[in-house]
Amino acid sequence: MNRIIVCVKPVPDPKHWDKLSMDPETKTLKREGIPNIMNPLDKHALEAALALRESHGGEVVLLSMAPPFAKTTIREGLAMGADRAVILSDRVFSGSDSLATAEILAAGCRWIGDFDIVLCGNQSIDGSTAQVCSQLAEMLDLPNVMHVTGLEESAGDNLIITQKIENGYVKLASGVPVVLSVRKEINKPRYTSFAGILAAESKEITMLSNKDLCVDLERIGLVGSLTKMAGLEVRKSERKKEKLEGTIDDIVEKLVERIYQYGVIEG
Amino acid sequence: MEFAFTEREEMLRKAVREFAEAEIPPRMEAMEETGEFPMDLLKPMAQVGITGIITPPEFGGVGMGYLARTIVLEELGRVCGAFPMALQVHHMACAALNDFGTDEQKKKYLPRLAAGETMGVTAITDPSGGSDLIGMKTVAELKGDKYILNGRKCFITNSHLADFWIVIAKTGEGAKGLSAFIVDKDTPGAKLGRKENKFGLRGANTGELVFDNCEVSKENLIGQEGEGLSVALKTISETGRTGMAATALGILQAVYEETGKFANERVLYGKPIGTLQAIQFLVAEIYTQLDICRLLNYRASWMKDQGMRCDTETGMAKYYTCNAAVEAAKKAIEIHGSYGIMKEYAIQRLFRDAMVTVPAGGTAEVAKAGIGRAALAPFKKR
Amino acid sequence: MDKKRNRDVWVFAEQRNSELHDVSLELLGKARELADRAGGKIAAVLMGCQIRGISRTLINHGADTVYVADDPELENYRLLPYTHVFENLIKEHKPDIVLVGATAMGVELAPRLAARLRTGLSAHCIDLKLDERGDLLQVVPGWGGGIVATIACPDHRPQMSTVMPGAMRALMQEERKGKVEDVPVDLPDSNMGPEILEIERVVAGEQPLEKADVVVAGGWGVGNEENWELLEELARLLGGTVGATRPPVDEGWAREGQMIGQSGKTVRPTLYIGAGISGAMHHVVGMDQSKHIININSNPDADIFETSDVIVTEDFKKILPPLIEKIKSRIGKR
Repeated sequence: MNRIIVCVKPVPDPKHWDKLSMDPETKTLKREGIPNIMNPLDKHALEAALALRESHGGEVVLLSMAPPFAKTTIREGLAMGADRAVILSDRVFSGSDSLATAEILAAGCRWIGDFDIVLCGNQSIDGSTAQVCSQLAEMLDLPNVMHVTGLEESAGDNLIITQKIENGYVKLASGVPVVLSVRKEINKPRYTSFAGILAAESKEITMLSNKDLCVDLERIGLVGSLTKMAGLEVRKSERKKEKLEGTIDDIVEKLVERIYQYGVIEG
Repeated sequence: MEFAFTEREEMLRKAVREFAEAEIPPRMEAMEETGEFPMDLLKPMAQVGITGIITPPEFGGVGMGYLARTIVLEELGRVCGAFPMALQVHHMACAALNDFGTDEQKKKYLPRLAAGETMGVTAITDPSGGSDLIGMKTVAELKGDKYILNGRKCFITNSHLADFWIVIAKTGEGAKGLSAFIVDKDTPGAKLGRKENKFGLRGANTGELVFDNCEVSKENLIGQEGEGLSVALKTISETGRTGMAATALGILQAVYEETGKFANERVLYGKPIGTLQAIQFLVAEIYTQLDICRLLNYRASWMKDQGMRCDTETGMAKYYTCNAAVEAAKKAIEIHGSYGIMKEYAIQRLFRDAMVTVPAGGTAEVAKAGIGRAALAPFKKR
Repeated sequence: MDKKRNRDVWVFAEQRNSELHDVSLELLGKARELADRAGGKIAAVLMGCQIRGISRTLINHGADTVYVADDPELENYRLLPYTHVFENLIKEHKPDIVLVGATAMGVELAPRLAARLRTGLSAHCIDLKLDERGDLLQVVPGWGGGIVATIACPDHRPQMSTVMPGAMRALMQEERKGKVEDVPVDLPDSNMGPEILEIERVVAGEQPLEKADVVVAGGWGVGNEENWELLEELARLLGGTVGATRPPVDEGWAREGQMIGQSGKTVRPTLYIGAGISGAMHHVVGMDQSKHIININSNPDADIFETSDVIVTEDFKKILPPLIEKIKSRIGKR
């Protein structure tokens, strides 16, 4: 294994989400004053990369499309054990939807070059579209697998991948390079060690702007986002308190619907 | 004078907090019941760097200093005080070896402590009184090139969890009459005594060690014969006091958080009780005490890191924080009303835990005597 | 954008082992509503091997056309072959809207397809509407459900969405007219992605309470050990774990380790179902972080209802047996 890229996203800490407010004019969310954490699933992706490096060598590089102040969150990834980090930061990136983000990340991956695996978390806790893995892979013209809960190396640089689907698992054999996104069941991320924190202080963080990546401006930022925001509403996180009425049969029918909607039983 | 933490310190705090919040709570019920320390966490803590925090890197530690150590112990104590209590004694063993040990001794024992292969123990207190070290009755008589150890040590944290102990024993009379020894657990004549049953900080193992004609080689002397009092006093005043103070600081932080949550949840007269001034006054007192103790703790450990003499400051941090934690916990229980005296709620445990920190590691009175002397010293007439 | 575009709505008909996922039928129901308003037709896209027979069901649920790509290469879902076939179909027929269920398969396939077609895709939609111009408004949750956003894709086609199972309603099944069009499958020689080694079906086992995705909890109102069995059966059926308040533990219907609350465990499942629970504060603090909360208690004033998303003020003994049967028959279809 030569190089594994791990895409990480700094996201506002959920412990402070009650401070989120919406700007009524621009219809965007105001995130100021809310500290960032690493997207939880990205930690699992990083752990998977570190585990592969331990058994098969190689370099683990963090890649993030993020504003400059996200450096602290990225340094946590270095403290966990990544070798270096590349942050893609430019005002023209802001407002990017998942497709535009995938363009930018793809450019970042190409800039880093010579990689075997790109690992991501299945989705982020804020936007949670879960679209970046497949779209990034498409831009890089590489195969991709989502919902990964198991990852092993077999002969050569080949991978045995376990993918979780409804009601079961699929085992796949893949060559490299490949783009993968993981579910939390894949592993328990290691705790950051103090030695790691000290080592992270001298690890390289490269900041790149679009001057370095040269992505077509038509394909990034608000301009390059083919999906547009037509409305935004903050929902109060209160319990719905929906009372089910009717005969026992009616009620049971509705209960089954709800249970199905919650994703607990498969349709 | 800067009152902010560095990015390194913030990352350190975050790393310990994550570890502590995930790994400790599932074990706490068993700890309360059995009084046993969860040894399965020792190696994971070593991997994080907790056991070797003050041990130099060449001996397997991370050598991050005492301010870092205070942050680590505080964060552990915020979740469960038994943890920093056990670890701070472990660090005392590391400090004694590091400050007074020979290179061979350091190479032999420090890496094992840093790697979490064993808990560290400093067995100083005799039944004759920890406050009166010169009066101890445990003797080490030199016979040829071996010392014969006879006596008992009590109230020893980690006594039953260690592969070797650092034992202070009497080799002569007066202030130069004590010596420090490394005693391996399997040495004939060295025995584990009874386990103590504390009413707080349960889960920090506390017990007795018994020495019955126990032969200890001269090579196991730490420092010179007669240097034992210095070893004990330096280790206690620099490492022990800051350790217990940080433990109490973590507990005090937990008291504050429990109180804040409860005051906002508990409704009386249609509103959370946190809207009542009477409660606000009590919480203000808790909050102010917490801040005072943080400053005392951080300043004392900072001084130690600068190589400054700091036994007065560590004494103040220790006696003040432990007492403040008890007082805050008492107020918090009252804020909780009858919920405060129910075992289901954490606040009663925090009260008990805080109370145990008061005599552990040195009484307030011994500390105050030293502080008083130091405070009066500038005014002494020549 | 080509102004002469049609207003056709396509639905991806997801099947595994020749079993159609319900979401496909739900999407056909919505597609009918959208297409009728905009004056378009509906098609279902069905891929697999020896699955042509499913077309009848799709037509009876509203599809005007079913495009069937039936080929051994497509027997088991693989991302790149399915994307290739779907891409060619879309490029040939140019539908206005393409809907895919937000399932494990859909969530992987739709973004790849959207990127290949260079069009916009919204994820996990809970609602779909048309604006005055007949363009699709896609309603999606974000920030753990704390935000609801409306997304549009004004300048690119097709407009694509992955849609949450259960968000839409299928039409009543009835004999309808529709046509089946066979699609030739010609996969390129290039790398078609990972090879499938094995597909394993697994029934979810019981998880420890703190990790459980589904919790079925009982309180004093359950009444006796025999009734407690109902909760255990429901939990088994849903792949969940049983929890309790203090009284059932004291009575011996549940173990100490199953207690949820201040002095017990804290649970954070996707679904918490409570039966016969009053809702004292020291239990609620152990479960109020559950994503969805259903409570059944014959006492309409039970405190627990303040912390519930779905409230049933009936005796749980009347609800659980038929609920168990209904879920069994729903799952049994697979």
